[in-house]
Amino acid sequence: MTSKPFSVDLGRLRSREKDHSAAAVERAERAGEELGFVDRAPGRRRGRKPSPRTGQVHAKVLPHVATEIAGEARRRGVQQGVILEEAWALYKAAEEAEK
Amino acid sequence: MPTIVIASPKGGAGKSTTAIVLATELAHAGARVTLLDCDPNRSLSLWAGRAAVPHRIEVLSDIGEAEIVRTIKRHDQDGQIVIVDLEGVASRLVSRAISQADLVITPMRATTLDATVGVRALQLIQEEEEALDRRIPHAVVFTMTKAIRSKQHSGIEASLRDQGVALLEPPLMERAAFSALFEFGGDLRNMPPQGNMDAAIRNAEDFARAVYARMTEDA
Repeated sequence: MTSKPFSVDLGRLRSREKDHSAAAVERAERAGEELGFVDRAPGRRRGRKPSPRTGQVHAKVLPHVATEIAGEARRRGVQQGVILEEAWALYKAAEEAEK
Repeated sequence: MPTIVIASPKGGAGKSTTAIVLATELAHAGARVTLLDCDPNRSLSLWAGRAAVPHRIEVLSDIGEAEIVRTIKRHDQDGQIVIVDLEGVASRLVSRAISQADLVITPMRATTLDATVGVRALQLIQEEEEALDRRIPHAVVFTMTKAIRSKQHSGIEASLRDQGVALLEPPLMERAAFSALFEFGGDLRNMPPQGNMDAAIRNAEDFARAVYARMTEDA
Protein backbone atom coordinates (compact mmCIF):
# COMPACT_ATOMS: atom_id res chain seq x y z
CA MET A 1 0.00 0.00 0.00
CA THR A 2 1.19 3.51 -0.71
CA SER A 3 -0.10 6.86 0.57
CA LYS A 4 0.43 8.66 -2.74
CA PRO A 5 -2.89 9.04 -4.59
CA PHE A 6 -3.18 6.69 -7.53
CA SER A 7 -3.10 8.61 -10.78
CA VAL A 8 -2.97 7.26 -14.33
CA ASP A 9 -0.56 8.88 -16.78
CA LEU A 10 -2.32 8.28 -20.10
CA GLY A 11 0.89 9.06 -21.97
CA ARG A 12 2.51 5.95 -20.51
CA LEU A 13 -0.25 3.62 -21.63
CA ARG A 14 0.53 2.31 -25.05
CA SER A 15 -1.29 -0.23 -27.16
CA ARG A 16 0.97 -2.82 -28.72
CA GLU A 17 0.92 -3.46 -32.43
CA LYS A 18 -1.71 -6.10 -33.10
CA ASP A 19 -2.79 -7.91 -36.21
CA HIS A 20 -6.52 -7.39 -36.72
CA SER A 21 -6.62 -9.24 -40.04
CA ALA A 22 -9.02 -12.10 -40.67
CA ALA A 23 -6.06 -14.41 -41.24
CA ALA A 24 -4.58 -13.60 -37.81
CA VAL A 25 -7.92 -14.05 -36.07
CA GLU A 26 -8.35 -17.38 -37.84
CA ARG A 27 -4.91 -18.53 -36.65
CA ALA A 28 -5.92 -17.63 -33.09
CA GLU A 29 -9.21 -19.50 -33.49
CA ARG A 30 -7.49 -22.62 -34.76
CA ALA A 31 -5.15 -22.54 -31.76
CA GLY A 32 -8.19 -22.24 -29.50
CA GLU A 33 -10.18 -24.99 -31.16
CA GLU A 34 -7.49 -27.53 -30.36
CA LEU A 35 -7.96 -26.67 -26.68
CA GLY A 36 -11.76 -26.83 -26.82
CA PHE A 37 -12.41 -23.10 -27.32
CA VAL A 38 -15.00 -23.60 -30.05
CA ASP A 39 -17.93 -21.74 -31.56
CA ARG A 40 -20.67 -21.54 -28.93
CA ALA A 41 -22.63 -18.67 -30.42
CA PRO A 42 -26.36 -19.43 -30.73
CA GLY A 43 -27.07 -20.89 -34.18
CA ARG A 44 -28.80 -18.67 -36.68
CA ARG A 45 -32.23 -19.73 -37.88
CA ARG A 46 -32.10 -21.16 -41.34
CA GLY A 47 -34.57 -20.55 -44.14
CA ARG A 48 -36.85 -17.72 -45.08
CA LYS A 49 -37.68 -15.20 -42.37
CA PRO A 50 -41.35 -14.71 -41.42
CA SER A 51 -43.10 -11.69 -42.89
CA PRO A 52 -42.79 -8.65 -40.58
CA ARG A 53 -46.42 -7.78 -41.49
CA THR A 54 -48.11 -11.12 -40.76
CA GLY A 55 -45.47 -13.15 -38.92
CA GLN A 56 -46.03 -15.94 -41.47
CA VAL A 57 -43.72 -17.50 -44.02
CA HIS A 58 -45.22 -16.79 -47.43
CA ALA A 59 -47.44 -19.41 -49.02
CA LYS A 60 -45.81 -21.36 -51.83
CA VAL A 61 -47.17 -21.06 -55.36
CA LEU A 62 -45.88 -22.18 -58.75
CA PRO A 63 -42.90 -20.15 -60.00
CA HIS A 64 -44.72 -18.33 -62.84
CA VAL A 65 -47.55 -17.32 -60.43
CA ALA A 66 -44.97 -16.14 -57.87
CA THR A 67 -43.32 -13.96 -60.52
CA GLU A 68 -46.65 -12.43 -61.54
CA ILE A 69 -47.72 -11.76 -57.93
CA ALA A 70 -44.33 -10.23 -57.14
CA GLY A 71 -44.53 -8.00 -60.24
CA GLU A 72 -48.04 -6.79 -59.37
CA ALA A 73 -47.10 -6.14 -55.75
CA ARG A 74 -44.04 -4.17 -56.85
CA ARG A 75 -46.11 -2.15 -59.35
CA ARG A 76 -48.66 -1.20 -56.66
CA GLY A 77 -46.09 -0.77 -53.90
CA VAL A 78 -47.72 -3.28 -51.57
CA GLN A 79 -46.66 -6.54 -49.95
CA GLN A 80 -47.40 -9.72 -51.90
CA GLY A 81 -49.69 -10.84 -49.09
CA VAL A 82 -52.05 -7.97 -49.91
CA ILE A 83 -52.57 -9.39 -53.42
CA LEU A 84 -53.28 -12.83 -51.95
CA GLU A 85 -55.73 -11.35 -49.43
CA GLU A 86 -57.58 -9.56 -52.19
CA ALA A 87 -57.70 -12.75 -54.25
CA TRP A 88 -59.07 -14.62 -51.24
CA ALA A 89 -61.71 -11.93 -50.72
CA LEU A 90 -62.76 -12.29 -54.39
CA TYR A 91 -62.93 -16.07 -54.00
CA LYS A 92 -65.12 -15.80 -50.90
CA ALA A 93 -67.37 -13.25 -52.62
CA ALA A 94 -67.78 -15.62 -55.60
CA GLU A 95 -68.60 -18.48 -53.21
CA GLU A 96 -71.24 -16.34 -51.50
CA ALA A 97 -72.74 -15.35 -54.86
CA GLU A 98 -73.14 -18.99 -55.84
CA LYS A 99 -75.13 -19.85 -52.72
CA MET B 1 -4.50 2.46 -25.45
CA PRO B 2 -4.25 -0.96 -23.87
CA THR B 3 -6.89 -3.63 -24.14
CA ILE B 4 -7.24 -5.71 -21.01
CA VAL B 5 -9.08 -8.98 -21.43
CA ILE B 6 -10.51 -10.69 -18.35
CA ALA B 7 -10.61 -14.36 -19.25
CA SER B 8 -11.26 -17.66 -17.56
CA PRO B 9 -13.36 -20.54 -18.86
CA LYS B 10 -14.47 -21.14 -15.26
CA GLY B 11 -17.77 -19.53 -14.29
CA GLY B 12 -17.94 -17.78 -10.92
CA ALA B 13 -14.22 -17.02 -10.82
CA GLY B 14 -14.85 -13.29 -10.31
CA LYS B 15 -14.35 -12.00 -13.87
CA SER B 16 -17.10 -9.37 -13.81
CA THR B 17 -16.21 -8.18 -10.32
CA THR B 18 -12.57 -7.89 -11.37
CA ALA B 19 -13.58 -5.95 -14.50
CA ILE B 20 -15.74 -3.48 -12.55
CA VAL B 21 -13.27 -2.99 -9.70
CA LEU B 22 -10.48 -2.37 -12.20
CA ALA B 23 -12.54 -0.06 -14.43
CA THR B 24 -13.85 2.07 -11.58
CA GLU B 25 -10.42 2.43 -9.97
CA LEU B 26 -8.68 3.29 -13.24
CA ALA B 27 -11.42 5.82 -14.03
CA HIS B 28 -11.09 7.29 -10.55
CA ALA B 29 -7.36 7.65 -11.23
CA GLY B 30 -8.04 9.65 -14.40
CA ALA B 31 -8.32 7.10 -17.21
CA ARG B 32 -11.19 6.85 -19.69
CA VAL B 33 -12.40 3.27 -19.73
CA THR B 34 -14.59 1.38 -22.17
CA LEU B 35 -16.08 -1.79 -20.71
CA LEU B 36 -17.17 -4.43 -23.19
CA ASP B 37 -19.80 -6.79 -21.82
CA CYS B 38 -19.34 -10.03 -23.77
CA ASP B 39 -21.02 -12.25 -21.19
CA PRO B 40 -24.53 -13.51 -22.10
CA ASN B 41 -25.36 -13.16 -18.39
CA ARG B 42 -24.88 -9.39 -18.90
CA SER B 43 -23.32 -8.84 -15.47
CA LEU B 44 -21.70 -5.54 -16.46
CA SER B 45 -24.92 -4.29 -18.00
CA LEU B 46 -26.75 -5.22 -14.80
CA TRP B 47 -24.20 -3.21 -12.81
CA ALA B 48 -24.48 -0.28 -15.25
CA GLY B 49 -28.26 -0.26 -14.88
CA ARG B 50 -28.23 -0.02 -11.07
CA ALA B 51 -26.99 3.57 -10.88
CA ALA B 52 -25.33 6.24 -12.97
CA VAL B 53 -22.21 4.82 -14.59
CA PRO B 54 -19.19 6.52 -12.99
CA HIS B 55 -17.52 9.42 -14.78
CA ARG B 56 -15.11 8.44 -17.59
CA ILE B 57 -16.63 4.93 -17.98
CA GLU B 58 -18.63 3.73 -20.97
CA VAL B 59 -20.29 0.29 -21.07
CA LEU B 60 -21.02 -1.47 -24.36
CA SER B 61 -23.36 -4.45 -24.00
CA ASP B 62 -24.03 -7.61 -25.98
CA ILE B 63 -20.72 -7.75 -27.79
CA GLY B 64 -20.62 -11.14 -29.48
CA GLU B 65 -18.23 -13.22 -31.49
CA ALA B 66 -19.02 -11.33 -34.70
CA GLU B 67 -18.35 -7.87 -33.23
CA ILE B 68 -15.54 -8.40 -30.74
CA VAL B 69 -12.51 -7.79 -32.98
CA ARG B 70 -13.84 -4.70 -34.71
CA THR B 71 -15.21 -3.25 -31.45
CA ILE B 72 -11.84 -3.61 -29.73
CA LYS B 73 -10.10 -2.17 -32.78
CA ARG B 74 -12.43 0.85 -32.82
CA HIS B 75 -11.88 1.68 -29.15
CA ASP B 76 -8.22 0.70 -29.02
CA GLN B 77 -7.28 3.86 -30.87
CA ASP B 78 -9.13 6.70 -29.23
CA GLY B 79 -7.33 7.24 -25.95
CA GLN B 80 -9.26 4.83 -23.78
CA ILE B 81 -8.45 1.72 -21.84
CA VAL B 82 -10.61 -1.14 -23.07
CA ILE B 83 -11.61 -3.81 -20.56
CA VAL B 84 -13.27 -6.92 -21.97
CA ASP B 85 -15.40 -9.07 -19.66
CA LEU B 86 -15.85 -12.52 -21.19
CA GLU B 87 -18.26 -15.35 -20.60
CA GLY B 88 -17.16 -18.20 -18.33
CA VAL B 89 -16.93 -20.85 -21.02
CA ALA B 90 -14.32 -22.09 -23.47
CA SER B 91 -15.55 -20.39 -26.63
CA ARG B 92 -14.27 -18.93 -29.87
CA LEU B 93 -15.22 -15.50 -28.52
CA VAL B 94 -12.52 -15.96 -25.86
CA SER B 95 -9.92 -16.88 -28.52
CA ARG B 96 -10.81 -13.83 -30.58
CA ALA B 97 -10.66 -11.42 -27.63
CA ILE B 98 -7.29 -12.74 -26.45
CA SER B 99 -5.88 -12.29 -29.95
CA GLN B 100 -6.46 -8.53 -29.51
CA ALA B 101 -5.25 -8.21 -25.90
CA ASP B 102 -2.39 -6.16 -24.50
CA LEU B 103 -2.87 -7.84 -21.15
CA VAL B 104 -4.93 -10.87 -20.15
CA ILE B 105 -5.98 -11.18 -16.52
CA THR B 106 -7.24 -14.57 -15.33
CA PRO B 107 -9.19 -14.29 -12.08
CA MET B 108 -9.04 -17.46 -10.06
CA ARG B 109 -10.40 -18.47 -6.69
CA ALA B 110 -7.80 -20.30 -4.65
CA THR B 111 -9.39 -23.69 -5.15
CA THR B 112 -8.14 -26.71 -7.08
CA LEU B 113 -11.18 -26.64 -9.38
CA ASP B 114 -10.71 -22.96 -10.30
CA ALA B 115 -6.99 -23.47 -10.82
CA THR B 116 -7.49 -26.57 -12.98
CA VAL B 117 -10.07 -24.92 -15.22
CA GLY B 118 -8.41 -21.48 -15.13
CA VAL B 119 -5.14 -22.91 -16.38
CA ARG B 120 -6.87 -23.64 -19.69
CA ALA B 121 -6.93 -19.88 -20.33
CA LEU B 122 -3.18 -19.76 -19.76
CA GLN B 123 -2.68 -22.65 -22.19
CA LEU B 124 -4.80 -20.82 -24.76
CA ILE B 125 -2.68 -17.67 -24.37
CA GLN B 126 0.49 -19.68 -24.97
CA GLU B 127 -0.97 -21.27 -28.09
CA GLU B 128 -2.12 -17.90 -29.41
CA GLU B 129 1.29 -16.34 -28.74
CA GLU B 130 2.77 -19.03 -30.96
CA ALA B 131 0.07 -18.71 -33.63
CA LEU B 132 0.28 -14.90 -33.75
CA ASP B 133 4.02 -14.67 -33.19
CA ARG B 134 3.73 -12.01 -30.49
CA ARG B 135 3.94 -11.95 -26.73
CA ILE B 136 0.60 -11.60 -24.93
CA PRO B 137 1.31 -10.39 -21.38
CA HIS B 138 -0.87 -12.17 -18.87
CA ALA B 139 -1.26 -12.62 -15.13
CA VAL B 140 -3.45 -14.41 -12.64
CA VAL B 141 -5.25 -12.65 -9.80
CA PHE B 142 -6.65 -14.62 -6.91
CA THR B 143 -10.19 -13.57 -6.05
CA MET B 144 -12.46 -13.96 -3.03
CA THR B 145 -9.45 -14.69 -0.85
CA LYS B 146 -9.71 -14.82 2.94
CA ALA B 147 -7.61 -12.95 5.49
CA ILE B 148 -6.12 -16.26 6.62
CA ARG B 149 -4.51 -18.02 3.69
CA SER B 150 -5.39 -21.70 3.26
CA LYS B 151 -2.84 -24.41 2.50
CA GLN B 152 -4.63 -24.98 -0.78
CA HIS B 153 -4.15 -21.32 -1.69
CA SER B 154 -0.43 -21.44 -0.86
CA GLY B 155 -0.02 -24.68 -2.81
CA ILE B 156 -1.75 -23.35 -5.93
CA GLU B 157 0.22 -20.12 -5.75
CA ALA B 158 3.53 -21.99 -5.46
CA SER B 159 2.59 -24.23 -8.36
CA LEU B 160 1.74 -21.27 -10.61
CA ARG B 161 4.95 -19.47 -9.67
CA ASP B 162 6.95 -22.62 -10.44
CA GLN B 163 5.40 -22.63 -13.90
CA GLY B 164 6.44 -19.02 -14.43
CA VAL B 165 2.91 -17.62 -14.23
CA ALA B 166 2.79 -13.97 -13.13
CA LEU B 167 0.56 -13.25 -10.14
CA LEU B 168 -1.01 -9.88 -9.51
CA GLU B 169 -0.62 -8.66 -5.95
CA PRO B 170 -2.64 -7.94 -3.95
CA PRO B 171 -5.39 -10.51 -4.56
CA LEU B 172 -8.98 -9.31 -4.52
CA MET B 173 -10.27 -10.36 -1.14
CA GLU B 174 -13.77 -11.56 -0.38
CA ARG B 175 -15.48 -8.31 0.57
CA ALA B 176 -19.11 -7.34 0.98
CA ALA B 177 -18.41 -4.09 -0.88
CA PHE B 178 -17.26 -5.93 -4.01
CA SER B 179 -20.44 -8.05 -4.15
CA ALA B 180 -22.53 -4.97 -3.40
CA LEU B 181 -21.34 -3.30 -6.61
CA PHE B 182 -24.01 -5.38 -8.37
CA GLU B 183 -26.65 -4.24 -5.91
CA PHE B 184 -25.92 -0.51 -5.86
CA GLY B 185 -24.02 0.09 -9.12
CA GLY B 186 -21.53 2.95 -9.30
CA ASP B 187 -18.19 2.58 -7.54
CA LEU B 188 -16.89 1.76 -4.09
CA ARG B 189 -16.64 5.41 -3.10
CA ASN B 190 -20.31 6.16 -3.69
CA MET B 191 -22.10 3.16 -2.24
CA PRO B 192 -23.65 2.90 1.22
CA PRO B 193 -21.09 1.46 3.67
CA GLN B 194 -20.64 -2.30 3.31
CA GLY B 195 -18.31 -3.79 5.89
CA ASN B 196 -14.85 -2.26 6.05
CA MET B 197 -15.09 0.22 3.16
CA ASP B 198 -11.63 1.71 3.67
CA ALA B 199 -10.03 -1.72 3.39
CA ALA B 200 -12.12 -2.55 0.31
CA ILE B 201 -11.14 0.69 -1.43
CA ARG B 202 -7.48 0.18 -0.51
CA ASN B 203 -7.60 -3.38 -1.84
CA ALA B 204 -9.23 -2.24 -5.11
CA GLU B 205 -6.85 0.68 -5.56
CA ASP B 206 -3.74 -1.41 -4.89
CA PHE B 207 -4.96 -4.02 -7.36
CA ALA B 208 -5.52 -1.34 -10.03
CA ARG B 209 -2.03 0.04 -9.30
CA ALA B 210 -0.56 -3.43 -9.87
CA VAL B 211 -2.39 -3.75 -13.19
CA TYR B 212 -1.29 -0.25 -14.21
CA ALA B 213 2.33 -1.11 -13.34
CA ARG B 214 2.12 -4.21 -15.50
CA MET B 215 0.61 -2.26 -18.39
CA THR B 216 3.33 0.36 -18.28
CA GLU B 217 6.37 -1.81 -17.56
CA ASP B 218 7.13 -2.43 -21.24
CA ALA B 219 5.88 0.91 -22.52
